Amino acid sequence: MAEEKISGVVITFFSTASAVGKTLISINMASELARQGCRVCLVDYDLQFGDVANYLKLPVEHSVYDALAEMKKNPEADIRQQVEQYRYGTICFDVLPAPEFLDQSYNLSTEACTELVEKLRLLYDYVIVDTTSMFSKLNLAMLDISTIVTFLGVVDFIPTIKNMKIGNDTLQNLNYDTHKIRLVLNRSDAKTRISMEAVQKLLGEGFYHVLPNDFRAASESISTGVPLVLSGSDSVLAEEIRRLISRYTNRAYVPGPEQLGSRSEAHHKGGLLGRLFRR
Amino acid sequence: MQYKIMLIEHNRLLLEQLSKVIENAPDMELEARFQSSSDALGQGRVFSPNIILLDAEIGNATELLQELIGVFPGAAVICTGEKWEAESTSHFIQAGASGYLIKPFTYNGLKEAIKIYTANGMEMDCHAMTFFSPKGKSGKTTLIANLAMAISRTTGEQVGIIDADLQFGDMAVFFNLEPQSTIVEAARDASFLSPLDLRSYYTKVNDKVYVLCGTKTPSLIDRVAIDSLEAVIKMSRSLFKYLLIDVPAGFNPTSIAAAEMSDTTYVVAMMNGGYEVKHVQRALEIFAGWEDCANRVKTVFTRVVPCNDQSRRKLTEAMGCPVEAVMPNAYMVVSKAADNGQMALDLEPDSPLAMSINYLAGRIIHPPAGGTGDD
Ligand SMILES: Nc1ncnc2c1ncn2[C@@H]1O[C@H](COP(=O)(O)OP(=O)(O)OP(=O)(O)O)[C@@H](O)[C@H]1O
Ligand SMILES: Nc1ncnc2c1ncn2[C@@H]1O[C@H](COP(=O)(O)OP(=O)(O)OP(=O)(O)O)[C@@H](O)[C@H]1O
Ligand SMILES: [Mg+2]
Ligand SMILES: [Mg+2]
Repeated sequence: MAEEKISGVVITFFSTASAVGKTLISINMASELARQGCRVCLVDYDLQFGDVANYLKLPVEHSVYDALAEMKKNPEADIRQQVEQYRYGTICFDVLPAPEFLDQSYNLSTEACTELVEKLRLLYDYVIVDTTSMFSKLNLAMLDISTIVTFLGVVDFIPTIKNMKIGNDTLQNLNYDTHKIRLVLNRSDAKTRISMEAVQKLLGEGFYHVLPNDFRAASESISTGVPLVLSGSDSVLAEEIRRLISRYTNRAYVPGPEQLGSRSEAHHKGGLLGRLFRR
Repeated sequence: MQYKIMLIEHNRLLLEQLSKVIENAPDMELEARFQSSSDALGQGRVFSPNIILLDAEIGNATELLQELIGVFPGAAVICTGEKWEAESTSHFIQAGASGYLIKPFTYNGLKEAIKIYTANGMEMDCHAMTFFSPKGKSGKTTLIANLAMAISRTTGEQVGIIDADLQFGDMAVFFNLEPQSTIVEAARDASFLSPLDLRSYYTKVNDKVYVLCGTKTPSLIDRVAIDSLEAVIKMSRSLFKYLLIDVPAGFNPTSIAAAEMSDTTYVVAMMNGGYEVKHVQRALEIFAGWEDCANRVKTVFTRVVPCNDQSRRKLTEAMGCPVEAVMPNAYMVVSKAADNGQMALDLEPDSPLAMSINYLAGRIIHPPAGGTGDD
């Protein structure tokens, strides 16, 4: 009998609007999982204008493009030779950045990109996939093979909410398992004219998790290239990202004592979802 | 107004059919009708039509057209054909025809054609613009909607918007429109539509501004074939003096086709303290493949703080190439406007945003000679 290979968890970040924090949150998720000792690979499938390498200030020597080329040339090769590594202190995780040159990103086949993630999941505990905000062939393929899809949204203005609704309905039509798609609201308390409650009503569904707005912490992390969860940031955003991850991994999350008093009201809203995710 | 129509049609059956339409119309008179070019040329001059319907497939049609224009300077000549062909249409328009109409037509179709073609002529010197952004949330839909309003107000010209952001088009929401038909139907029917018919697929914002609204659900993207989209853009050029096209972010068949078919492509990005300058530079490298890229591609940054000429110059320096315009941070008014189906331009007509929009509209209407605005 062939050796049974254990296949890792694939978590895709998806949205139907841009700039909702897919890249920022996926980087932090990869970092936090790595900090907890998991083997993690973060894949940037925003092939044309991906920001993963930018946000991590990672020089791109090997990209998705090279990994795909190597995979084609030598199907048995160890893909781990084709990845970049992000290191912060003793913590590290692997990254497959988007191609360095635009002309390298235009004709990559969805089949090959899918095969690449399937290969990676045999090598890592977690494969985190960052995407673009549309129902492209590639994104649909990623949604299909993912263990968890984080469907990220923000409460911006009406057009964005219309698109979140259309996106959510489309995802429902794809008939994934109920627990697979996790609706996460980012930048919850940003200056907007529309309430979160109104959005939940429209969507006909509560948010699985709510991440607060912290523009300063977010910008600082992007300009320093250090993910929030690694920089020792005491921001509520870092805290809530950790909490989200602990819900994904089903590990109890105990906030540091200094955080107990300052917990945002956000996670109290998880009541409804707590019921859905009795595990 | 009473229309006195001269009908020239080589097909005997069509001649009868079209004559009937005219004869039955309350506000039209059949002044004369001919089945051959030579008859029209020899005998036509004793009549005094104000509309001439000229069979585009008749022998010597081009010569006849020029002759007719000379003899009847006060009449509008509308060519008629059994199907729409961009090539031959533009040939006749260049030769002096006021428009091109598909036959057989109904009374309403003819009336509409006469109204539009005698008012504007059939625009062939349309300025088509695609608004491209490397990543989404660039502020381009806001920019397009407000620019369209500003351009139409300043010029009084017809302005069209095509929402080709095929999965998540927002233009209908921005203008609070409930479209009866969208780009999906227009693309479906593109092969047998004439520009005039296409006009009815647009949704009216006011007498000057029309929107061809986007798809209603993301899966409909597959129903808008690229060649149909191209046909829609081509035809729309004959309906509007200015045509503004919204496309999905990044390089994809839609955004590439629209940019290829436009006179100007604006690369739009919003300043967010991230890597937007780098993204724009990378996008420009691709557009640099066009010979006339320097004139044809322009860069606009939105949410620029502070929004002044100095910032524009700084961005120009950082980019290593000219920045056409900068838009200020106007989140509150912009989102309030979109939520209510209004234009930011109208909510705060004297705001810095309105000033920047009007500035860019001015440069579109009167392009600065040979310069980019940077000394
Ligand atoms: N919780 C937050 N609070 C404040 N700012 C945030 C938050 N999350 C993300 N941001 C900011 O929002 C911007 C967009 O984030 P990011 O690039 O991660 O979004 P994205 O969904 O990946 O966008 P795109 O679709 O364009 O790739 C960044 O400037 C980031 O700093
Ligand atoms: N000049 C501006 N200053 C600040 N915010 C702006 C400005 N223009 C637009 N915005 C805001 O940015 C967001 C995106 O605007 P808009 O929808 O026009 O961009 P877009 O590039 O068309 O986005 P999409 O990728 O969703 O199509 C909206 O919340 C809008 O209110
Ligand atoms: Mg991103
Ligand atoms: Mg838009």
